[in-house]
Amino acid sequence: MTEAFKPDDIDALIHERTRLAIVSALAVAPEMSFGELKEMLSLTDGNLSAHSRTLEEAGYLKIDKTFKGRRPLTTMRLTPKGRKAFQSYLKTLRQIIDQGDQPREDG
Amino acid sequence: MDHAEAKARMEEIQRIMERATLWTLLPGTAAVVGGILVLAGCGVSYWMTGSLDFAAMLDLPVSQQVLFCVMWFAIGVAGVLLETLLTARSARKQGMSPTIRSARVAAFSLAPSVVVAMVLTVKFLIPPIPRPEEIQYIVPVWMMLYGTGVYTAGLFSIRAPRVLGLVFLTFGVVALMGLPQYGVVTAALSFGLLHIVFGLYILGKQRQGLES
Repeated sequence: MTEAFKPDDIDALIHERTRLAIVSALAVAPEMSFGELKEMLSLTDGNLSAHSRTLEEAGYLKIDKTFKGRRPLTTMRLTPKGRKAFQSYLKTLRQIIDQGDQPREDG
Repeated sequence: MDHAEAKARMEEIQRIMERATLWTLLPGTAAVVGGILVLAGCGVSYWMTGSLDFAAMLDLPVSQQVLFCVMWFAIGVAGVLLETLLTARSARKQGMSPTIRSARVAAFSLAPSVVVAMVLTVKFLIPPIPRPEEIQYIVPVWMMLYGTGVYTAGLFSIRAPRVLGLVFLTFGVVALMGLPQYGVVTAALSFGLLHIVFGLYILGKQRQGLES
């Protein structure tokens, strides 16, 4: 039987659409650069920067700033905490979907 | 969050994950090696016919015409094999299945255009009497159909393959309208050089990441 879904189960940090997109991409690719993510998700510099910082502050994202030659390179990857939060969010989504798919008992 | 929203979110997550997966699997090396093979093929074609026009193959003895066609067929097969093998290797390296849905979708998007190009090529080449102007259409037709296929396949990935597809499509139109008699040059520039540039671009992005 499917566990009952409680509104508190939703992680508000990941639930925000842009942050969810960032986390989803990084759940597949082990590490992506700022530019790659920006291009793939069609985000602006400011938008990606702000949301990735929020995720970093929550401990979901590890951001490394290095140099490739003289050029700055920012790379991001999910932390174990971020991966766990994403998996938990997926589990919650599945619960809601399963509950909706179950036939209702009338009367 | 209600059921419909949860479903929509799940679908959005799947789309993004598939796009990210394809990005990591784009076969830059295969594009470079394939481009080099095409350049070599163009060199051999020119050496065999002494012309920049593919229709000049009709002036060759039949045995050499067959050899000419077999060489280009082999280059095409080698290109497809390379792309398949290197994509599969890249997927395994990253712990993914080589037959993931997104890779299959991209391959199936490209396939119809390639099949149409192959059918048209056979139609142009097969006797009773192959006509030079039809032989001249082969390269532009391949450019346009390959461009269409790559553009469609690119809809499931990042912008770069879509741009490659559009460039092929545009070059194909220009080649068809104005340069059909320079098939060796247009093939070398598009399937050769353009593939090499695209492959190096992808390799560069994958190894170093884009600028921050």
